[in-house]
Amino acid sequence: MTQLRVRSGSVNFVNRVVRLSGWVAVAAAVATSLAAPAHADENLFGYVYGAETLPKGAGEIYTWITRRHDKGVGAYRALDTQIELEYGFTDRLQGSLYLTGNKHTIRNVSQPDENGDVDIPDLKRNMSLNGIKASAKYMFKSPYKDGYGLSMYVEPTFTRYQKVRGTEANQYTVEVRGIFQKNFLDDQLVFAANLWLEPEWRKYKASGEKESEVELELDLGLSYRFAPKWYAGLEYRYHSEYPNAGTYKLQLNKREHVANFLGPTLHYGDKKWWFTATWLPQISGRPLDRSISGSLHLGEHERSEYRLKIGYNF
Amino acid sequence: MNQGVWLLPVGVVAVTSVSSSHALAEDYFTVEQAQRALFAEATSFEPMPVALTDSDRSAISKVAKTRTPLPEKTWWRAKKGAEVIGSFVVDEVYGKHEYITYAVAIKPDGTVRGLEVMVYRETYGGQIRDAKWRNQFVGKAHGAALALDQDITNISGATMSCVHVAEGVKRVLALHAIALKVKA
Repeated sequence: MTQLRVRSGSVNFVNRVVRLSGWVAVAAAVATSLAAPAHADENLFGYVYGAETLPKGAGEIYTWITRRHDKGVGAYRALDTQIELEYGFTDRLQGSLYLTGNKHTIRNVSQPDENGDVDIPDLKRNMSLNGIKASAKYMFKSPYKDGYGLSMYVEPTFTRYQKVRGTEANQYTVEVRGIFQKNFLDDQLVFAANLWLEPEWRKYKASGEKESEVELELDLGLSYRFAPKWYAGLEYRYHSEYPNAGTYKLQLNKREHVANFLGPTLHYGDKKWWFTATWLPQISGRPLDRSISGSLHLGEHERSEYRLKIGYNF
Repeated sequence: MNQGVWLLPVGVVAVTSVSSSHALAEDYFTVEQAQRALFAEATSFEPMPVALTDSDRSAISKVAKTRTPLPEKTWWRAKKGAEVIGSFVVDEVYGKHEYITYAVAIKPDGTVRGLEVMVYRETYGGQIRDAKWRNQFVGKAHGAALALDQDITNISGATMSCVHVAEGVKRVLALHAIALKVKA
């Protein structure tokens, strides 16, 4: 596996570029908003993807902010952020670029064992550039024209921090997601289902330890337009992880953990912008540490997640 | 890293929602303006509310999937002197965010004479107001497919709006044929 080393000087340079590009994006967006008609591809859900793509020539910029917290012991707070720039290359194909960041505050989450090892060491790190992502989405069927929507989504990612522990680890992933959408009641009720697979390859910087896993997830969402501009609904996630062992073969009989999430979602869409807020508490998981929880898997996941997306169309 | 960078789109939204709010036209026609646009030669428009029976409603609901209230009270008879030259109806269908309000002019023989989009508040798909797209409906009668990629073309990025307006016109034509044709 090729290892990408990011020195602190490089990080500072990248941070400056990110800040500059952010302001360039602001200026471009403001200028565009005053001159051009708007386009939209708003997300009705926080976690579940819809099948629609942006029309050709349309663009969108949006922020994702996800707060994960509570491992049942000590103090655990993580914030994942990303800025996404999305563009419609054709009426069926869109591409995106993302900058991701995260911060961690971890204290006394695990007690040292007899060897002095702790599962999740204490950590306090402010918001840091985490990595980059790119994605492509192709729509085979339109939910409005073809009776149902069907899309394929591919997203390669590079990140610098392990999601749960926040420790430095160069990580590469490739998410492949199938998206189904079916609308009911004159398109006022939207159902979406995603099935995705994501192989991960990771190397920890401090120890040099390598690991690889495969994530398998099923996401379901149902949302109803209860008033002009407003949708409300429910989202469900089934998340599971398996050893990869470099075989690309999913070893279903060797599942490492599983967690189920269920919670409400709220969406507001205006002409040029929208937001979606979702709360997803974990409702069950395995394996369990019964000294902490009798029903939730809190090792690789948290008790609760909140996600806010704010999008601007141009 | 500057934590504020992740909130840039929030700032963009705040700034542009204020600065561009007046640049986006929404209401294009009043009822009177739409009547004049579709029946330029008319000398009067007489309100003509519709009284539907349950069987009328049942028959109409089978023609189109539109679930907005039926336009029973927004019908007018267009007259040139004493001669009835057609019907004028204002209807609403669901857009992605809000309602799309449009007017249909129907000739006495039940075919579409013209269509105007009166209120369009959607983010995209403003081309739905273009004459080229609206003229596809002219001459259509009850029973026409009025389906995207069949006899109505799609507008990129506004598929839902196109489908809903086409379904709405389909419902209006059914309403005209079933309940009003004799009276028109």
